[in-house]
Amino acid sequence: MKILFYFLFLISFHTYAQPNCNVYLYAGDTAQYKACLLSEQIQEYQFHRKFHEKFDEVLKICPNFAYAYREKSTAYLKSGDFITWKKLIDKAVELEWRTNLGYRGWCRYQFFRDYEGAIRDIEKLDSLANYDIGFGQNGDYHLNLAKGICYSAIGQKQKAIDIMKQQINTPNYEVGLYDYYQLGVTYFEIKDYQNALSCFEKQAKINALAENEYYKSKIFKILKNQDEANKCKNVAVKLYKDSKILFDPYTHHFNKVYWEEIENL
Amino acid sequence: MKKLLIPLIFLSLQSFCQDNKTTMLKYPNSTGDIDFDSTLDRKDFQLCGKGYGYQYFNDGKGVLYEGEKKAIEQSFKEKYKSQNASKQTGLIRIRFVVNCKGETDRFRLIGTDENYQEKTFDKSITEQLLTIAKELKGWKPKAFQSKTEILAYDFYQYLIFKIKDGKITEILP
Repeated sequence: MKILFYFLFLISFHTYAQPNCNVYLYAGDTAQYKACLLSEQIQEYQFHRKFHEKFDEVLKICPNFAYAYREKSTAYLKSGDFITWKKLIDKAVELEWRTNLGYRGWCRYQFFRDYEGAIRDIEKLDSLANYDIGFGQNGDYHLNLAKGICYSAIGQKQKAIDIMKQQINTPNYEVGLYDYYQLGVTYFEIKDYQNALSCFEKQAKINALAENEYYKSKIFKILKNQDEANKCKNVAVKLYKDSKILFDPYTHHFNKVYWEEIENL
Repeated sequence: MKKLLIPLIFLSLQSFCQDNKTTMLKYPNSTGDIDFDSTLDRKDFQLCGKGYGYQYFNDGKGVLYEGEKKAIEQSFKEKYKSQNASKQTGLIRIRFVVNCKGETDRFRLIGTDENYQEKTFDKSITEQLLTIAKELKGWKPKAFQSKTEILAYDFYQYLIFKIKDGKITEILP
């Protein structure tokens, strides 16, 4: 039973930072302030019935409290209930776009591979915000990288490359854990193998991945360099066995490569 | 200063709470719980636990299937008979239970169009998807592990199919 409690404890945290309730107090919005204070007391796991009942109580105090809709939407997102999730997250975006529009765009991409919808949300956010639009919810990609991935997924490879490059070259931007890999694969897909290799080399220095070596091996094979292709395959096999792979507990990364594909190189 | 305060107050009024309409909803113990339905479910399907409602991602290991997701995709590629059906576009989710032995049942299906509006897909599509999903036998059991014990548990899994004109374009998660 101890194991169960520990387990539930680990997964009980809310999906993102709670709002600063004093913001509402200073704005004179006492209803949102009270709703916010009440939401701070909710400790249940986001799938639990009581979690939803308590957030309903919060919404009774203030039906315009965007945070509550977003919190309620999360369990539906993670259980694949796109219908209920969309209704709730749309309400959150309608009430507070600053914190929710980019999040909705990210979720459209990550959980439903709704590439066009994600692009619309991220571009809308970009048009409204005069600040860095930031990273997707799990921190894997900057939202502009995610946008580039979405353009790649719908076949607009050059546009995808331009977007990814622009983000990577943005001053003070700290390159993400998978940025060069995704850019490299996009180059690979348009048969620009030199640029693809250059990206994969950079990726290997930042975050070595089996998938990265898989693509390097494929390129060397195309370039008729079987020795290098074999070396890369061996590295890919080792990295895969060491779990140095593209991984997410909820979904699969875009351009994920599986063991069978590496084995059959 | 007064000039600044007036528009600020005016703007903030929009987000004030004037509407007290809320809908009281009844929730299952855990979001997405699937109760036994004698008209749909196998009577011989055994749950190992008491229905704590664990999800496939709760252990941090994600989807665990023999041959990874590639094997799931391969099953649908081999068995699903695509057809040209111009209005059959959107998302279909099949959610089900994997018990502590890796056996599956309690399959439930929902669908939406491309705008997340509820949609009923043609039976020739949904029945095929359900049949193939039920035939998947590679689900790996999940378990809590400590130094002294291993406790296998039942969990919920789902598959989402992106459908374009009756064809599967992607399988998620």
